[in-house]
Amino acid sequence: MSRMVKKAGAFEIVNHWMLAGSCLVLALSGFAFVFHLDGVAALFGGFPPMRAWHNISGVVFAVSLFLTVFSYLPVSLSFSADDMKWLSMGGGYLSRNKKELPPQDKLNTGQKLYYLVLLGMGAVMSASGFTIWLLGNKGLVLLSYFAHNLFFVFFMVAIPVHIYLGTFANPGTLRIMLSGKVPLDWARRRYGKWVSRMGLG
Amino acid sequence: MARMALLVSPELCIGCRGCQSACKEWNGLPAVKTVNRGTFENPPDLTGADYNRIRFMEVPSAQDAQRWLFVSQRCMHCGDAACMKICPSSGALFRAKNGAVVFDKGKCIGCKLCGSACPYGLIRFDQANKVSKCHLCHDRTEAGLTPACVKTCPSGALKYGDRDKLAAEASAAGYSNLYGEADLGGTGVLYAFKDSPKVYGMLQNPAFPAEVHFWSGIKSLAYLGLGATVAASALHYLVIGPHKEEGEEVKKDE
Ligand code: SF4
Ligand code: SF4
Ligand code: SF4
Repeated sequence: MSRMVKKAGAFEIVNHWMLAGSCLVLALSGFAFVFHLDGVAALFGGFPPMRAWHNISGVVFAVSLFLTVFSYLPVSLSFSADDMKWLSMGGGYLSRNKKELPPQDKLNTGQKLYYLVLLGMGAVMSASGFTIWLLGNKGLVLLSYFAHNLFFVFFMVAIPVHIYLGTFANPGTLRIMLSGKVPLDWARRRYGKWVSRMGLG
Repeated sequence: MARMALLVSPELCIGCRGCQSACKEWNGLPAVKTVNRGTFENPPDLTGADYNRIRFMEVPSAQDAQRWLFVSQRCMHCGDAACMKICPSSGALFRAKNGAVVFDKGKCIGCKLCGSACPYGLIRFDQANKVSKCHLCHDRTEAGLTPACVKTCPSGALKYGDRDKLAAEASAAGYSNLYGEADLGGTGVLYAFKDSPKVYGMLQNPAFPAEVHFWSGIKSLAYLGLGATVAASALHYLVIGPHKEEGEEVKKDE
């Protein structure tokens, strides 16, 4: 067993789970609102309390989404030739034959792109949600209602992809969001650029 | 039960506003303080405590130099009700047997989405932000009575009955324009007009909000997207498999 290195700090980890928790409440209540699921609403004590859960979770979601900016935005915006190469190899996800991928930073290319997409989607979701909640303008509310629903569909696609990639598809990755620590060897294989940038050897 | 309707005939209305009072009386609605605006019309708008009101207009015509119009205003009880379709709470707005669009405040979550969806802008809310509008006296009609406003109307300007029969009667009586007959799946409140609806200050070409219509057509994509993604992930795991923990395989390929 090689030495463990710290891949994520407490702030990053706690914030991730705030985002995940609020997302779960939002998605569950969202399904219940869209499809009038009385059974799901009963878990929240009925539709009126579920609205409060949905709105409060929306605030938590928006705040923690904003806080991710400090952890991931700079690295997500830095693209290099290695990222292009990573993309051209499909991140190694497209074939059983695992070829060596170009060295990756704190986030790999796929994670960078996923983060940028998620940030954009979350921004639309938050803006439309707060519009429905707080603004009275009919045209804006209807437009937001539509965007909120459409992006709900996008989230229902994006979230399972994220969960799959963070667990089954990449064994060992989940540790980053639990203890934050991963073996140095493992980190070197997957985040080589980050390991050398941090001077971890 | 056949679809019922409320037929409004402004030409017969004498403007007594007994309908407004009867509505408040039956539904236990508080008085709303207003100010004199120099018009017969009062209250100035529908509110959560004013389910119906008489709009007053002075529209002189060639035959009639002093033509006064009194037009009862309330929720139209649309056949294709945008308010019901947008409502995220199950049972907050529902269709009664007589076709009326009725609310259940206990189930309303106070989101006011229905207010934005109503093509006529006729939904109002109470102090607690719960939906509060004409329900054609659901409790009365369920018991075989007519709505309170109809019961009190002394002139025949408000009639309640079988929708098709009322429509036929109005046409037979020479009302050329039956407002609401075909709009939004046919409305449950019909207006017997002799002139264009514009003269009576009615909304021309009310339209179901496209956003609500389109979304309700595609909303199953939420389940579909979730299911397909989970299935695709499982398939990927089985067919292509995960990134291996050990580095050996990678080295072999080099
Ligand atoms: S009760 Fe009848 S006559 Fe009196 S204002 Fe109402 S609709 Fe007109
Ligand atoms: S008029 Fe408005 S509130 Fe009444 S049924 Fe139609 S959409 Fe709903
Ligand atoms: S305010 Fe009440 S009735 Fe209107 S859409 Fe929201 S839950 Fe439904």
